[in-house]
Order: sequence, then structure tokens, then C-alpha cells
Amino acid sequence: MDGMMVDGTLLAVIVAAGLLTWLTRVGGPWLIARIRLGPAANAALEATPGAVLVALVAPAALSRPSDALATLFVCLIARRVPMAVAVALGVAAVVVLRRVM
Amino acid sequence: MSTISLPSPASVPREVALGAVHALAILAGAVPFGLLLGSLAAKAGLTPLDMGLMSGIVFAGSSQFVAVELWGHGAPGLAVVASVLLVNLRHLLMGATLAPRFHGVPPLRAGLALFFMTDEVWALALRRGQGLTFGYWFGVGLTLYVGWLSATVAGTLAGALVADPAAWGLDFTFIAVFLCLLAGLWTGVGSLPPWLASAGAALVVNAVTPGGPWHILAGAVAGGAVAAWRGKAVS
Repeated sequence: MDGMMVDGTLLAVIVAAGLLTWLTRVGGPWLIARIRLGPAANAALEATPGAVLVALVAPAALSRPSDALATLFVCLIARRVPMAVAVALGVAAVVVLRRVM
Repeated sequence: MSTISLPSPASVPREVALGAVHALAILAGAVPFGLLLGSLAAKAGLTPLDMGLMSGIVFAGSSQFVAVELWGHGAPGLAVVASVLLVNLRHLLMGATLAPRFHGVPPLRAGLALFFMTDEVWALALRRGQGLTFGYWFGVGLTLYVGWLSATVAGTLAGALVADPAAWGLDFTFIAVFLCLLAGLWTGVGSLPPWLASAGAALVVNAVTPGGPWHILAGAVAGGAVAAWRGKAVS
């Protein structure tokens, strides 16, 4: 079984991603003691996670009308039902919409 | 604000147990996503060992979804790493809000504790307020760590049996999960301008370099720039 072999590139990616992620975790307390962010830099940093998530989904979410409609549907229910329910309903919606559109 | 404290020896088990109990409620919601991530990872060509290493070393859910998605589409390793970093930049802000608690804590202990700082650990730690102890922190962190590791590996083991997730609309789960995470970041209409800028930039760049990961960076930069400009304007 090749399950005991790890691809070298993948291992390097995982270790690098892990190290950088750890640095983002310890970096907050470390940085705050040393620098002061201006309001603009602070606003940019604050908006980064959301902007990244939007950029991730935008191309796929808007790739076809059925998926765009299902995206709109998930946006409408996401804050009203638990996450697992919203995801399940979204997937169900896309299956139906892809079939009829 | 007081520094995070070491509980007196007698209360350590109680603090750890309390943290574990609070974490179990969160884990109930996190396990399905761990299973889902694992099955998608299997589809992307990751073995259970790969998945275990990723969950054990990175331990950051949404960024792991991103990494698996990009890796599955053959993105260059550097792009995968850069995307994980971008998604996890929020930790800087979360950590900044906990900074007073870690003031004067020995670096080694702070570094180890902060390894476990996920969105959930951070939220529970904030909620604990002045009563935050290392026992509680590690009770929450280790419970989520073991649960997440187990769920993602189990998902990879089971996922290898799933023939074609796309036929069941399961490819859309990525989109739906990210939309839910995004909804959690919504703070009002003010959230929209950077998001729209990001979507626009991402669509344009993706049209130029289809399938490439550069649309993520473009969206992040565009969204950040709009937020910075607005942040400057309101202050």
C-alpha cells in the first residue's frame, strides 16, 4: 500500500503552511507589543479574510446560472440556520437546479 | 487586563475538563466538516497519512479546505502555501485581541498555547474573560485537535469509497462552506465594498489566467485596498 509514502512536494507544502500558520497565531501578541497599525492598514487587515473567501468562491459560484442561484440561496440562509444545514440545503439546491437549468 | 494564569495544581483537572466539555459542543458541529474535508482530500489525491499530517501540523479548518481544493486542481505548491497564509492572516487580529493575556508569559509556553488558537478556541477564551487559565485553554485546544485530526483522517479513509462527489453536487460544498464562513464575517453593509471589489478582481484575473490561483491574491489585494481607503475615509 502506498499510503505510507508521502509525496515530497506535498510534505513541504504542509510543513511550510503549518509553520506560516503558527506564525500568524503567535504573531498577533508579538506584533501588538511592537507596532501600531494606522487606521488604513488596520482596515485592510480586517477585511482580508472576507476578501480571500470571496475571491475563492467567486469564479466557481458564478460559473453557471444554476450555481449562481444556489450561491444566492446559501447567502440568504447562511445566517439563519446552522452551518451544516445551510451546506446540506445548498448542495441539495444545486443538484436540483443543475438538473432543471 | 490580567495575564492568562496557571491554575493552582488542585484545580488543573477541573479547568481542563471544563474546557473539554465546552469544546465537545463545538466538536459536534466540526466533525461533519472534518469528514467532508477528508473525503474531498481523498478525491484530491491525499492519503489518510497526508491528511493526518496536514490536520496535525496546520490545524486550521478553512485554510485546509483551500489547500485541498488548490492541490486537487494541480496548483503550484507555493500558491497553496500562499493561499493558506492569506486565509490564516485573521489569526494576527485574533491574537492581537488576546495580547494582554500573553503579556509576560514565557515564550515557549505562549508559543505552544497559541499553536492551538483556532477561531473557536479564541472565541471561548474571550468568553472566559478574566477567568482564563492555561488548563482551560489546553482543555479546549487539545479536544478540538484530537477531534479534528480523527474526523479528517476518518473522512479520507471513507472518502476513497465515494466514486464521484460532483455527481451528487458535493463539489458545491466547498462554495457553500466558504459562503457560511463569509456570512460569519458579515458586520453590516460596510462589509460589502471590499467583498465586491474582491469578487470583481477575482473574476477578471480568473478570466485571464483560468484555474490559476492568482485570482485569490488579486481579490485579497483589491478587497484590502478598498477597506484601507474606506478606513482612512471614516477616521
